[in-house]
This record gives sequence, C-alpha cells and structure tokens, in this order.
Amino acid sequence: MTQLDDLTRHLLIGVLVIATFAVLPVFITQRYLLGEVIVFFIWAMVAMNWNLLMGHAGVFSLAQMLFFAVGAYGMAMGVTFTGMSVWVAIPIAAVSSALLALIIGMACLRLTGAYVALLTYAIAEMIHVLIITDTECFTLVRNNCQQLFGGSTGFSRFDDFGFRPLLKKHWILGNYYTVLAAFGLTIFGVIVIIHGRLGLAFRAIRDNVGYASSRGIDRKKYQVVAFALSALLTGLAGGVYAAHYRFAGPSLFEFSTLMFILAMVVVGGLGSTWGPLIGTGIMMIVVEFSKEMGDARNLVLGLALIIFVVVMPKGLVHLASNAWRKVSHDRQETKADS
Amino acid sequence: MDVVIQIVITGLTLGSMYALASVGLSLIYGTLGMFNMAHGLFMTLGAYVAYSVAVAFGIPLVLGIVVAMAAGALIGIITHLVMVRFMLGTADFGTNVLVATAGLGILIEDLLLKVYGGYPYPQPLAVEGFTRIGRVTVTYQAVIIFAVALILILGVAWLLLKTRFGRAIRATALNREAAMLMGVKADTVFLQVMALAGMLAGVAGLMISTQATLSPQMGGDPLLKAFVICVVAGLGNVWGAGLCAFGLALLEAAIGFYIGVRFGFPAMLILVILVLIWRPQGLFGSEKVVRL
Repeated sequence: MTQLDDLTRHLLIGVLVIATFAVLPVFITQRYLLGEVIVFFIWAMVAMNWNLLMGHAGVFSLAQMLFFAVGAYGMAMGVTFTGMSVWVAIPIAAVSSALLALIIGMACLRLTGAYVALLTYAIAEMIHVLIITDTECFTLVRNNCQQLFGGSTGFSRFDDFGFRPLLKKHWILGNYYTVLAAFGLTIFGVIVIIHGRLGLAFRAIRDNVGYASSRGIDRKKYQVVAFALSALLTGLAGGVYAAHYRFAGPSLFEFSTLMFILAMVVVGGLGSTWGPLIGTGIMMIVVEFSKEMGDARNLVLGLALIIFVVVMPKGLVHLASNAWRKVSHDRQETKADS
Repeated sequence: MDVVIQIVITGLTLGSMYALASVGLSLIYGTLGMFNMAHGLFMTLGAYVAYSVAVAFGIPLVLGIVVAMAAGALIGIITHLVMVRFMLGTADFGTNVLVATAGLGILIEDLLLKVYGGYPYPQPLAVEGFTRIGRVTVTYQAVIIFAVALILILGVAWLLLKTRFGRAIRATALNREAAMLMGVKADTVFLQVMALAGMLAGVAGLMISTQATLSPQMGGDPLLKAFVICVVAGLGNVWGAGLCAFGLALLEAAIGFYIGVRFGFPAMLILVILVLIWRPQGLFGSEKVVRL
C-alpha cells in the first residue's frame, strides 16, 4: 500500500464520514432520531472549530459560543428585520461572526494563555448581559415588542429553510441534508487548515513560540487568522442552528452550554483531528442518559471535565491511537521473532 | 456633592466585595499559576453554608463570617487535595486546570441547585438599619462590608509580609524551584494558599448575598469582575488586585449612576482592554523576560 500524506488520508476519512451520514436516513426514519443527528452535526461543527482554535492554534478562547450566537442572531435578525432569504442570511451571519472575531482577536491576542481565556470570556458575558438587559423596543413583531437584539426572549418563529411546503412530511430530510452540507464544508475546511501550511504554522506556534517567531512566523497574525477562520465556520453552524430550530436566544450564551461543548472537545481529544467528533457523540449520549436519571446534565458535565482533564488530558483519541500503536508494534515484533 | 458621596459609598461597598474575591484569585494565580474558574462557586458555597447555619442556629453575623470562612477554606482544601494536586507540573497545566476548575464550578452549582432549589433566598445574616451622611443613606450593612473587607485584607497583608508562613508563600510565588531548594514545602504552601483564598471567597460570598439574594448563580457576576480586576492589575499581583478592585468599582458606580447600570461592566471592560493594549502585563505587573 502506498503511503498517503496526512491531508489526503484525512480528506478520505472525511468523505467516508460524510457518505456514511448521507445514507443514514435510509436506515433511520424516525423524525426524533434524525433531529438528534442534526443536533450532532451542529455541535460537532462547533467542537471541531474550537479544537482548531484551542488544540491546534493554541488560542484558549472561551468566546466560542459567542461566535455561534452571532451566527444564530445574525441569521435571525436578517430574516426578521429585512425579510431576506435564509440562504442569503446564513452566509452574511457567518461573515459577520468572522469580522467580529477579527476585531476581538486583534484586541485580545496581544495577550497569551490564560489572559486570552479570561478576556474572551468576559467579552462574551458582557454581550450576553447587554442583550438580556435591553428592554427598548426596536419594532413590533406580531404586536409584540421586539428588541433590536431580541432582549431576554430572543427571536423565534421566523422563516426556516422552507422545506415544509416543498417536501411535506419529509421536511426533516431537507433540513438533514442542508445541515449535513454545512457539516461537510466544516470538516473539509478544518482538515485543510489543520493539515495544510496554516496548520503547520499554528502547531509551530503552539509548541514553541520563540522558535516559531525566529523562523518568521508572526504569532499574533496567525492566531488572529485562526480566530477569524474558526469564528467563520462556527458562525455558519450558528446560522444553520437558527434556521433549523427557528430560534436564536440568550440561552446560547449559558455557561453550561459552553461547558457542554468544551467537554466534547476535551473528552474526544484536544489537538487531534477527529477527537471532537467522537467527543460530541459520546457527550450527547451521556447527557441523554443523565437526563433520564433526573436531570443530572451539569453534574455529569462537571465530572466528565474533571476526570478527563486529570486522568487523560489528551482525550479518548489519544488513548485509542496509543493502543493501536502498541498492537501494531507487538505484531511487528512477533513477525521479527518468527 | 450628594451624588459624589453616593457614588463613593456605592463604589466602596462594591470594591470591598470585589477586593475580597480578587485578592484570593490573584493569590492562587500568583502561587500556583492556576486560574480558579470555581472561585465564584467558592463564594456561593460560603454564602449558602452561612445561610443554612444561620437558619438552623440563629447565629449572629460575626459567627456567620467565621462559618463562611470555614466553608470556603474547606472547599479550597478539598479542591487542592482531590484535583489540583494531581495536575501540578503536568504539561499544559494552565489551560487544563482552567477546564477542570470550570468543571468543578458547574458541578458545585448543580449540587447547590439540587439541594436548595433555584429560588432566591434573602440572606438572614444581613444587618438592618442605616445612617445618613448629608442626604445620602448609608446602610449599616455597607459599613460592615467595608470594615470586614478592610480587616481581612489587612490581615492577609500582615500574613504575607510579616509571618514565616507568608514568606514561604511569597518565596514559592517568586520562584517555585528555588523555594523548594531552600526547604520550603511547596505542597503545604499550595494547600495553605487554597485554604486562604477559599476563606476570602467564602466571606466575599456572604457579603455579596447580604446585598442581593442567595442563588446558585450569584457567584458568576462577581467572579467575572474579579477576573477582569486581576487581569488589569497584572495576574498574580495581590496588592494591585486590591487597589484595582476599588478603582474599578468606583468607576462602575459612577458609570452606573450617570449612564445606566447595565453599562457599568461594559465600560469597565473596554477600559481594561485599552489598558492592556497599552500595558499587556497589566497595570502593576512587571514585564517578564523569558529565556527560550
């Protein structure tokens, strides 16, 4: 077998993953389960982007859900206020998310490490508080007061993808494949970044800032680029989320949501390629079970975060790849012996 | 003139609470190099335990403060023994411990929610009554908060500057390896710092709950402000954190009065970002030269 380079290999895995999900509706027909898979797509997009930013570019940002919310709010506001099509609103929302990230990144990324985490967290929280304390009516929607940024209730019941009249009772399939397309776009985008020249620069900075800088890699510039790119794709996920649920509200900013996604990234494996995907699946299943045991979601999230960080900070993927290496190593040894 | 007095009083009350929270946070960062995302929940826990004991036994405020301090110290010690101890010195400690303490925070918050419910309680340990300065009302509670914060912070200052114990903490913060080589037991120092910071957080929580109500989420907002204060002061700079707490609280009070309460924190944050662009190491931080 010829040795494929990393990029091609991961792209092939990506094609395989997407193809698997594309044929999944043949076997799963219940609307509830398809809905859950759609949720999986959305969270996996956010987790992959966070991993790109935190695990590869070494920017410890806690503003991930802010960019998700900008995507969701942008899409909701575009549709509610201007009446533009969902298909136009989502890209616009994603781009505005990236632009905001560019501004925040240029201010915050003068700093490094824990400073960045605190500042990004503070900014996200500030925007959250400003949104929920806003009571001034911007317009009236269905005779209800509608604040410019949705106030404490947010936006709901705006246009979705529009598959309901088109596909009748199979409308969920329309949503499924639309979100899958966004999911695929994210997978390919993230892989190309991680395993391309940009990813190489990111990892060089993460591993040794001094050495990378002496080789002409500007830390701040590359980290701002990572910040903006990650926000672009996260904003896309947010836009798709808003269009699927017909909802965008301040609950997106909740700390527990942020921790939910963080748990996905950490459990799967920070700094890996496919870890966040696996982590998303596992955390969703675990949380689903914990709901049945009397709403223990946050308890389980907290425990998962602590245990994984203390016991295996590199996540499940690292564990699996170690085991694989050991197995193949042993096999080679037995071959050599015989 | 009344307006100025009002702003100063509000600012001092807020500043006292912020200072208690951020001095502890800064102490932990300075010594262990860790950001305690669970610090807000240390505060909440202190407030709730004091509340429970007060409801059960009807204790006076002084004892309530002691109870809150004990509760905070205990959770600080447990956090260190169960979690932080195993992580010290591992790769990516700074970010990993942030994630772990955030996990701990959400865990404690959920436990409090399960035990006490989400309904906000009034804090029975609050002191009634007020006096007037000119035409401005000053509650006794505000005076007590200021006094308690002042006593505790001066106490911590005395501990750090005048005792062997404090010297060990400062030595460890300055250079962990060198301190250990001189016979300082770093593990003990870390444990003491966690207990001390937890103690301050417990009291901060009790004080905050007397101004508002008890709820599992009450620690979130003060924690956020304590973070911002620590960052602007320069991470790990304990004195700077205390000073900045009062400075930023006065600013917040002034903006809250003139522009609107909801803009207090945003204005604070924008100022902080501007300060950081000018001095990335914080107002009181010294620039570190790192050899690669």
